[in-house]
Amino acid sequence: MINEFLNMGGYGFYVWTSFLIVIAFCFLLYYKTKKTLQKYEREFAQELEKLPMKHRRKIARSSKVISSILASQNKLN
Amino acid sequence: MDFFSFGKIIVYIDKFIKFINSIFFLVLIIGLSFALIISPIDYLQGDTVRIMYVHVPSAWIGLSIFSMMAIGTLLNFVFKIKNLYLFVKSLAPIGLLFTCLSIVTGSLWGKPTWGTWWAWDARLTSMLILMLFYVFFIIAFKIFKESENLPKILSAISILGIVNIPIIKYSVEWWSTLHQPASIKILGSSSIHSSMLVPLFLMLLVLLLYCALIFLMKYKTEIIKIKKQNIKRL
Repeated sequence: MINEFLNMGGYGFYVWTSFLIVIAFCFLLYYKTKKTLQKYEREFAQELEKLPMKHRRKIARSSKVISSILASQNKLN
Repeated sequence: MDFFSFGKIIVYIDKFIKFINSIFFLVLIIGLSFALIISPIDYLQGDTVRIMYVHVPSAWIGLSIFSMMAIGTLLNFVFKIKNLYLFVKSLAPIGLLFTCLSIVTGSLWGKPTWGTWWAWDARLTSMLILMLFYVFFIIAFKIFKESENLPKILSAISILGIVNIPIIKYSVEWWSTLHQPASIKILGSSSIHSSMLVPLFLMLLVLLLYCALIFLMKYKTEIIKIKKQNIKRL
């Protein structure tokens, strides 16, 4: 039963290679995109760390972009 | 215009990413089950027909993304809207990936059905040209990112590339090609049975959700890059 499924009527190589290539390359792009996003979020959070505490709190409250980045960073840490 | 502010956009991006992450694996498992197990084999092509469930949605996505990028680039050139530039830049790698995947899976489908991996046939060649336009787009973003001429260069690539879209679509009707004519028509009845249409649209949904996820992550990265440059002014 499983052999029949894997064999795909003698076309297993073509069918499985097609699906595996799509899954592998989609995963690769997802992984690369996620890593890049995390890198920029981390770098941004580090830049914010350099600002005085009072100023940092003020802009974190006023900017949705910054509060989103800080929320993502808190989840990672 | 407040709706288009980065602050508002990033809130929606986070919500959409969360939503897609919550349903993606379920939709993927359903799509793959239909494509690989439940859908019937073709009376002529046998199990190779299953390649259609990744090949056709990939080709549709490759074509649609280029059309969206071309419209976005031309609108950005006329109206100078920063968001459109980020929109196009975030879409380009996704479109390139799916155009390449449609060519590779088409080749893997071609070998058992046509007896060849590749032919310089009108549909295949025009898809290869589309892939080259994506590569030109991405190279232009990298080389001319600081240049004031970038919108002009992107518009030129868009205008040249958009001419290729109807050629791809109608190539199977205008020329005698190895590639079969379209089985699915937006206007008019499709010549494909519902038992194969359902898995096809399920796999399209899976890949569209994936595209949306990657696009949102890339768009968010671009917003952070801009905010990072302006951090001193905050």
